[in-house]
Amino acid sequence: MGASLRALRALVLLAGFYLLGLVLIAALVGIDIGASAAGIHGPSLAKIVIVSVVLAVPIVRGMFMLRLPKAEPLPGVTVSEEQEPVLWRTVRDIAAQVGTRAPDEIVLIADVNAGVTEDARLLGLRSGTRSLYIGLPLMTGMDEMRLRAVLAHEMGHYANLDTRLTPLIRRGRVQLLRTVENFQDRADAKVAKERAKQEKKAEKRIAAGKKAKAVDTTGDGAMYRAMAKIYTAYGKFYRRATLSAARRQELAADLASVRAAGRDSAASALRELNAIGPAHEFYMDSYATLGVGARLLPPPGQVFGGLRHLLDARAGELDGLRTDLPEEPASPYDSHPALAERVARIEALPDDGRGAQASRPSLELLADSEASLIALERAVLTPEAFAMRRLDWEDLVHESMSAYVGQGSEELQEAFAAEGVGTGGSKGSDLASLLKAVDADPAVRWRITDRLPKSDEAAAATGRAAREFARPVLRRALNQLVTAELTARGAARWQLSWTDSATLRYPADGFEEQLHGALDSATADLPDTEPLRKLVLAP
Amino acid sequence: MTGLIIFGLILLGGAAYRFITARTKTLQGKIAAHEAGAADAQTRTAAAKAEKKATQAAAVVALGYVAEADLDTENTRPESPEEKAALAAVRSGDWEAGAAYLDAAGEDWEERWQRVRPLSDVAAEDDAWLLAWRAARPSDPTAALVNADTAVLVAWKVRGSQSGSRTTQEQFRLFHDLLLTAQEAVHEAQRLADPGDPVPYMVEQAVAQGLGYPNDEYRKLWSEIIARDPKNLSAHANAQQYWARKWRGSHELAMSVALEAAASAAPGELLTLPALIALVEQELHEDDLKKEVFFKEPTAVAAVDAALADLAAADPGDWRTVRLRHLLAWLLFWQDRDAEALEQFKVIDGYIGAMPWYYYGKARYVHARDWVVRECTPGL
Repeated sequence: MGASLRALRALVLLAGFYLLGLVLIAALVGIDIGASAAGIHGPSLAKIVIVSVVLAVPIVRGMFMLRLPKAEPLPGVTVSEEQEPVLWRTVRDIAAQVGTRAPDEIVLIADVNAGVTEDARLLGLRSGTRSLYIGLPLMTGMDEMRLRAVLAHEMGHYANLDTRLTPLIRRGRVQLLRTVENFQDRADAKVAKERAKQEKKAEKRIAAGKKAKAVDTTGDGAMYRAMAKIYTAYGKFYRRATLSAARRQELAADLASVRAAGRDSAASALRELNAIGPAHEFYMDSYATLGVGARLLPPPGQVFGGLRHLLDARAGELDGLRTDLPEEPASPYDSHPALAERVARIEALPDDGRGAQASRPSLELLADSEASLIALERAVLTPEAFAMRRLDWEDLVHESMSAYVGQGSEELQEAFAAEGVGTGGSKGSDLASLLKAVDADPAVRWRITDRLPKSDEAAAATGRAAREFARPVLRRALNQLVTAELTARGAARWQLSWTDSATLRYPADGFEEQLHGALDSATADLPDTEPLRKLVLAP
Repeated sequence: MTGLIIFGLILLGGAAYRFITARTKTLQGKIAAHEAGAADAQTRTAAAKAEKKATQAAAVVALGYVAEADLDTENTRPESPEEKAALAAVRSGDWEAGAAYLDAAGEDWEERWQRVRPLSDVAAEDDAWLLAWRAARPSDPTAALVNADTAVLVAWKVRGSQSGSRTTQEQFRLFHDLLLTAQEAVHEAQRLADPGDPVPYMVEQAVAQGLGYPNDEYRKLWSEIIARDPKNLSAHANAQQYWARKWRGSHELAMSVALEAAASAAPGELLTLPALIALVEQELHEDDLKKEVFFKEPTAVAAVDAALADLAAADPGDWRTVRLRHLLAWLLFWQDRDAEALEQFKVIDGYIGAMPWYYYGKARYVHARDWVVRECTPGL
């Protein structure tokens, strides 16, 4: 379908929304007139009229809500041609291959993604400012040919004029969604009101010593819901009409990608996307922000750039993601068809003889990738986060894990203070004071755990059952003190691993097994603190 | 035009709303008055019903049956003075009294089993005396036995008696860990025990249930028990739990194990009990079974008849017979054999800490008993 035809359809669909509103209002008025003509009068007629007015309100509101929420621009770093000549040359090159005008600005962003927008005017009839967004994490994970494939796909949307109609389609979607939501909110509010009323009644019945009726709100808000259903049905029609086109647009853009980068690069770029996305998410959660609770960040440029370490270390794991592509679209509203389908369509194309060319890492397209990564941090992170203390990875892991263990023992300190452990002039570590106190009175252990937070079940337990609830808590607390003691002395160190979670490296081989035994003895009903003291405190 | 219509409708609507709300208010007042009247009538009939019920219950009590409030739901027989004394002694820290009480059972393994649990109950709440006992006599088989049984008891206490969905992760994890600890304690007790003593193996039956031993492993445990005491009634009753559908067996397995036990025993040895348990467990497990139908099926009638014959052949002084009688009372009641049921109720009345009542509660017991009494007492 040509661009002008698609534009026309978008317009018609939007007009359909207004038409639907007018038809519904006309129907409501018709019912009122009909009722009055049929001889209904007095209170019954009034009731019918009221209902129709109440239903008309959301329709009218939906039609006159003209202002759309502004699309937020993505935070990022806009780079000029002088700053990034190679990147710009590459992008122009791709634009020429795809057969469209190059973008007017390039913005580096912090996602595993690339995208294009066009500030189109006159309902999409005239071209506007074109922006190309490129994620630095995406560049971190892809070589140049694959990046070219991704960028060619995005610029393929310019060439097909897809970007021009986006605002128009968006308007239709947003207005529909709002109207449906408005109806549903009103229905829910009505149900909630009715429920509250019935519950109050039930309470009264119970207070009067009678059996309460079950709360039933089945029929409430039915009219609102019926109206919402009409709009939802139109919305579904709207979505089907535009979505299949949207998906076709994606497939067309994929063809542009194949033309620009070659079949194999285009396919492997999509596979790569499926791997880098989850890897980046995991990296951000488990590595980049690991120290945030201790107000620590990795060195400048590594907040987004550190992804490279993870990709290298977990290459094998990521291979699975490269081969097992999702068979379903990410959501029914996603304009992209399922990744598996896109890749299959590309790989079914005849061999263009270009293979998956070896090429340089795409970060090398940047004049100074390190500086760009730092600039991105400045643009994306809050000033507060940006100003956090920076440590290299090894120290970051050790210091933040040590800090978390320390934070975790704060409530333990309070329990100690309340039980008089470590007071009265005894010197030395928390662990030493606790072991001393246990030797003097083993029951102090259960008094301490009693002051720590516990579950309802643990709180309700008595006798030995209560002790069994407390024993694992005591063990964890002791283990925490051992860790704090060992790390403070420099005898143990938290170890960074790019393939696994951080682990504590103990002073010697076999230490961990010995520690298990020593903790068992110290938490037994008849405790022996000697093994723990010898193992941890003696040297 | 549309705007004008809407405006008009809104104005009209406002006036109409006033009118309607005024009307509904008076209507609501009338409805409320009506409802209050109906509620009064309900209260009166409810009061009349309760009064009638109380009179009926009082009539049964007047015949010498125990009042609902006075029923003992913990025990199947009165606590013996020896037991009372032993429990009081260990509570005050005298573990030697506990040891003596347990060892006095000698090689009556059923009796030894019966004496362990009350001590474990005390230890589960406060085990200072048990720790002292263990410290003083590390290789005392009786101390090891109480220790093992207490460990099992504590594991089940931590798990609680709620269904799986209402049991927390913490409870499940601890339950499992504690059962493993209990298993170690059980094995220790087995090592230290008299080679002929089946009781530490009977304690393991509860561990097997909780840890879900595979059937073969359970059969191995079972062979250890019956090699030592082939006719032990409690061991057979315990096994019914494991073989029940709700744990690691099925209705069919449970019944076949039960019938096998009955076939292996002479009348009077009371091993018709497992079949009665299997019936009650199956009925409890299946929501769609109707007691008045299921308990009248030929299998159930045969099991009840066999148990009655067994009971008739038993030593009348054997306290274990009450375990049959509780189940018989319930099943005979559902089979409409009221006179036979009454015979059982007469014996068991007062102490109902037994199957099936701990599943159903006091009220069901009283309902069944009073029904049977009324049916069998002309003029009541």
